[in-house]
Amino acid sequence: MSMSRREYIKYQAATIAATAAGISLPSSSTNLITNTTDSELKWSKAPCRFCGTGCSVNVATKAGQVVATHGDIKSPVNRGLNCVKGYFLSKIIYGNDRLKTPLLRMRNGKFAKDGDFTPVSWDTAFDVMAEKFKKALKDKGPEGVGMFGSGQWTVWEGYAAVKLMKAGFRSNNIDPNARHCMASAVGGFMRTFGIDEPMGCYDDFEQADAFVLWGSNMAEMHPILWTRLTDRRLSAPETKVCVLSTFEHRSFELADIPIIFTPQSDLAIANFIANYIIENNAVNTEFVKKHTNFRLGETDIGYGLRPEHPTQKRSKNAKTAGKSTPIDFEAYAKFVAEYDVKKTSEISGVSEDKLIKLAKLYADPNKKVMSLWTMGVNQHTRGVWMNNLLYNIHLLTGKISQPGNSPFSLTGQPSACGTAREVGTFSHRLPADMVVKNPKHRTFAEKIWKLPEGTINPKPGAHAVLQNRKLKDGEINAYWVQCNNNMQAGPNMNEEALPGYRNPDNFIVVSDAYPTVTAQAADLILPTAMWVEKEGAYGNAERRTQFWHQLVEAPGDAKSDVWQLMEFSKRFTTNEVWSKELLAKKPEYKNKTLFDVLFKNGNVDKYPLSDINKEYNNHESEDFGFYVQKGLFEEYAQFGRGHGHDLADFDTYHKSRGLRWPVVNDQETLWRFREGSDPYVEKGKGFQFYGKPDGRAVIFALPYEPPAESPDKEFPFWLSTGRVLEHWHSGSMTQRVPELYKAFPDALCFMHPADAKNKGLRRGDKIKISSKRGAMVTRVETRGRNKPPQGLVFVPWFDARQLINKVTLDATDPISKQTDFKKCAVNIEKA
Amino acid sequence: MKNTIKTLCIGSFILLSTIAIAEKNIATLREETPLNKINESPAPLQNASNKDIKRGRAYPMQPPVIPHKIDNYQLDLKVNKCLSCHSRTQTEESQAPMVSVTHFMDREGNFLADVSPRRYFCKQCHVTQIERSSLIENDFIDIQHLLSK
Amino acid sequence: MITLLKRYWDIFRKPAVHYSLGFLTMGGFIAGVIFWGGFNTALEKTNTESFCIGCHEMKENVYKELMSTAHFSNGSGVRATCPDCHVPHEWTNKIARKMQASKEVWGKVFGTINTREKFENKRLELAQHEWKRLKANDSLECRNCHNFEYMDFTQQSPRASVQHSTALAKGEKTCIDCHKGIAHQLPDMSGIEGWE
Repeated sequence: MSMSRREYIKYQAATIAATAAGISLPSSSTNLITNTTDSELKWSKAPCRFCGTGCSVNVATKAGQVVATHGDIKSPVNRGLNCVKGYFLSKIIYGNDRLKTPLLRMRNGKFAKDGDFTPVSWDTAFDVMAEKFKKALKDKGPEGVGMFGSGQWTVWEGYAAVKLMKAGFRSNNIDPNARHCMASAVGGFMRTFGIDEPMGCYDDFEQADAFVLWGSNMAEMHPILWTRLTDRRLSAPETKVCVLSTFEHRSFELADIPIIFTPQSDLAIANFIANYIIENNAVNTEFVKKHTNFRLGETDIGYGLRPEHPTQKRSKNAKTAGKSTPIDFEAYAKFVAEYDVKKTSEISGVSEDKLIKLAKLYADPNKKVMSLWTMGVNQHTRGVWMNNLLYNIHLLTGKISQPGNSPFSLTGQPSACGTAREVGTFSHRLPADMVVKNPKHRTFAEKIWKLPEGTINPKPGAHAVLQNRKLKDGEINAYWVQCNNNMQAGPNMNEEALPGYRNPDNFIVVSDAYPTVTAQAADLILPTAMWVEKEGAYGNAERRTQFWHQLVEAPGDAKSDVWQLMEFSKRFTTNEVWSKELLAKKPEYKNKTLFDVLFKNGNVDKYPLSDINKEYNNHESEDFGFYVQKGLFEEYAQFGRGHGHDLADFDTYHKSRGLRWPVVNDQETLWRFREGSDPYVEKGKGFQFYGKPDGRAVIFALPYEPPAESPDKEFPFWLSTGRVLEHWHSGSMTQRVPELYKAFPDALCFMHPADAKNKGLRRGDKIKISSKRGAMVTRVETRGRNKPPQGLVFVPWFDARQLINKVTLDATDPISKQTDFKKCAVNIEKA
Repeated sequence: MKNTIKTLCIGSFILLSTIAIAEKNIATLREETPLNKINESPAPLQNASNKDIKRGRAYPMQPPVIPHKIDNYQLDLKVNKCLSCHSRTQTEESQAPMVSVTHFMDREGNFLADVSPRRYFCKQCHVTQIERSSLIENDFIDIQHLLSK
Repeated sequence: MITLLKRYWDIFRKPAVHYSLGFLTMGGFIAGVIFWGGFNTALEKTNTESFCIGCHEMKENVYKELMSTAHFSNGSGVRATCPDCHVPHEWTNKIARKMQASKEVWGKVFGTINTREKFENKRLELAQHEWKRLKANDSLECRNCHNFEYMDFTQQSPRASVQHSTALAKGEKTCIDCHKGIAHQLPDMSGIEGWE
């Protein structure tokens, strides 16, 4: 038998692993493995590591290795299916450039901002890191430090991070990458309903008569939900699918009503539908009278750019963006009357005929409609408005909170809901929809956390885009990035992110499993355990919380984020980071480490190691001496229990295929806000939007307003960025799976053949895409899955070699602070 | 003397390994382009492999990759080009592999008369491949290597 | 005025009385050439892609679909224009096809397919016309470029080479049997042979 060198090394590793695990390698007397001890695999469940769908997968391990993965037949989410990424999960942890030891930029044996990455021990890494954080805290106070986390953090990782930052360092400068992805959805939920996350669930897919996709390419981004939608559409042929987007993509393959609209005009289309419903007497008057209020929103609210940006200067009401005043139905009807079919067709470029067809889906009282949206709506300088406008339509018709009638905001990350939103890792939030601004919420949190009153800073911290600006301006000097690749993913890398990270005043720490673009921009890199190398919990888009066990060991010295956060907290004493006044309120905390105060507080360290399932390892708990995950989870769950966010007890989740909160009396909740389905709705109410004090949801009057930047002579194309099916986000996992890499290896610029011809370009030509901010060189694709209209190009952002975010604009929704990655103006020329 | 050599050896080993490991550019996916520079030579656009030769599977549940090009294969509400060769009724003539039996199961695990609509969009799981070496080697170990040979 | 008209009528009715036979023969020939030439030029003019896509029905539907296919852009740069596939090259058939086209003029005037939706509703019928025609003439318009005699099977993919050296070689199948929808999108194919 011949063996390549690499194969030999692998084989050797396997032999060592196998010997260590006490397995004897059988001789190859037969070409079929029949002996049970050899052929039997250990199967465990885990949620998929990728998108917000939250598929469950079965993971097979043998001799300390993940050897196979497949869709979990028992999971109600995916019933045995996975998308192509999910099927290759087994390989994401085995890229051979895994980080195995901390790396510090050093010169002559010392940290140097311009030094080379040099392996160091965890002790040295944390020494240097603690020194830098202490200096920043001393020089600038709590606002001098920051943290950028993730909707891919496990629930307890996010929770530990919030505690360390908001309670330990007393800094609200913590934000998740979910800011780029879900913030507008959160803003929409809070403004309309006063409580976050969808009222419906995935069971709506099998009940709906019509599906409307608003700026969502589910066929590629939520493939398994797409299988459920496809199943419904094809098995019940009277079902209709309408797909709205600024360019044609794979989801159009199933569209009965395909709609390509001019960027930003979705605002007008949504208002037109509301107008059509009113004009054609399709308003569910009883529902509207009983369960809704009307409000007029502030207009001309700016674009979340730096205050000195000319576009921002022109906006009158940037400071009061979230304001609104009460109005009545008549005033609202008058407000939307402007959006008749003719005007809307002019703004949007969509034929009147199609607009009416779409409006009729909603207006027909006998059609159950599910609206679905993701980044097209959320990554929008009027993203919160768009979320509000979509709820308007469902509220006017009363098509909400019932099976099949469902405005459904999809999420991009596996735990955008579970961690970023529910745990509240945003700069303005606390767990269970609480906010730092609210004194009652702060007191509540301080009580659970056993902290002196006044520990939590009442001022919201810096959000994602603002953090990069503050790094560039030297206002945040010590910064920790965990579980994301924001240098590649964040907007306007050239002008904001890169100068910010490389600012000599700043010390940047990046925790990751792989050497990403962000790691490259860091000063210290911490090797991190990923996915099934640690015990975890994710919460998906339908409020389903799912757990998994640690199934294999992380390579080298890699440790989980939660271990890093807790271990790092040991380096600080309360005297160093808290004021005397604060300590005086709880003298017993004097000279204690943050670890003692935050994690050895009687809650988090409550559960002994003996509670851990004997079949699985748990590297954090073994180090700290108590069941870390259970302690963190049970303390966290106190925030939501009895407040509409009830989670079941820890052990239940390890046994189930996830449960949808609120879980009351062991029962999960499928549809919220409806009597009989949601235990929080009082008897006799029918519907109750209990997030609002009067139980009424809000219908908002909000107009069409132009985007932050539009094509002009110098930059004549719209640029939209996004993902592809085969890669997840920045590709740091999927580009390392050979099959996925070879399926879609490089970023491309999808453009209309006529645009290419006019520019003298042909398929495959090398081009430079440039904006006022930066440029990227790539290749032209005039065929394939995405077919943009003339005047628009689409570029995916997964490719570390081709960084499209050097080109994008850091304009955000002024209310949600979420970046608009779908609209900026670019030029294209032959390179 | 022996000890000196030993110390020397260890010393030089540490030195060597430090030199070897201290690196400027660690973002392996980017290769050598610094972050503030533009990669001026993106890989040429490459079409899917069309060799029709089956590739191995990493484990039995892995969906097989497509060994041929699928440019302009129509797959929409009207037509499923893939099934025009791979459906049960067409395979005798096309000699293409039949879609797996799992594809006939609905969400509840019942076998249907034909391929389940939930499996209609083949490309969600089955992808083409280009002829190119991996960007980063993957150290996944095949179960077969773990157990035998 | 009436006198003048009567005079021309006389010449037209009895030309030989007024002009020599040679002149008339010559004149008739020249007139014939001009007429024939004009007819053919006009005919050829209608036989170009730019004429076809002068109608938005063609430009926005079938032409747009063609643009992303190998019949529009490929390695050798040899491309097919609309008439290459859709108008017979041989004269009598071409005239017959052009006469049929009068129906298409009717369709254009009355907007039979002037929206994408209307076009989609007609797509099956229109496609079936073309499949029937190509089936009947043994895919003649395909074969104008793709000559079976000169196919090098070794340069084809294994799948293609098998089919071409068997079914096509024996005449059991003709090009259009397998290559439907290669230049434009297909209609709903339920019930069509080979797509059940």
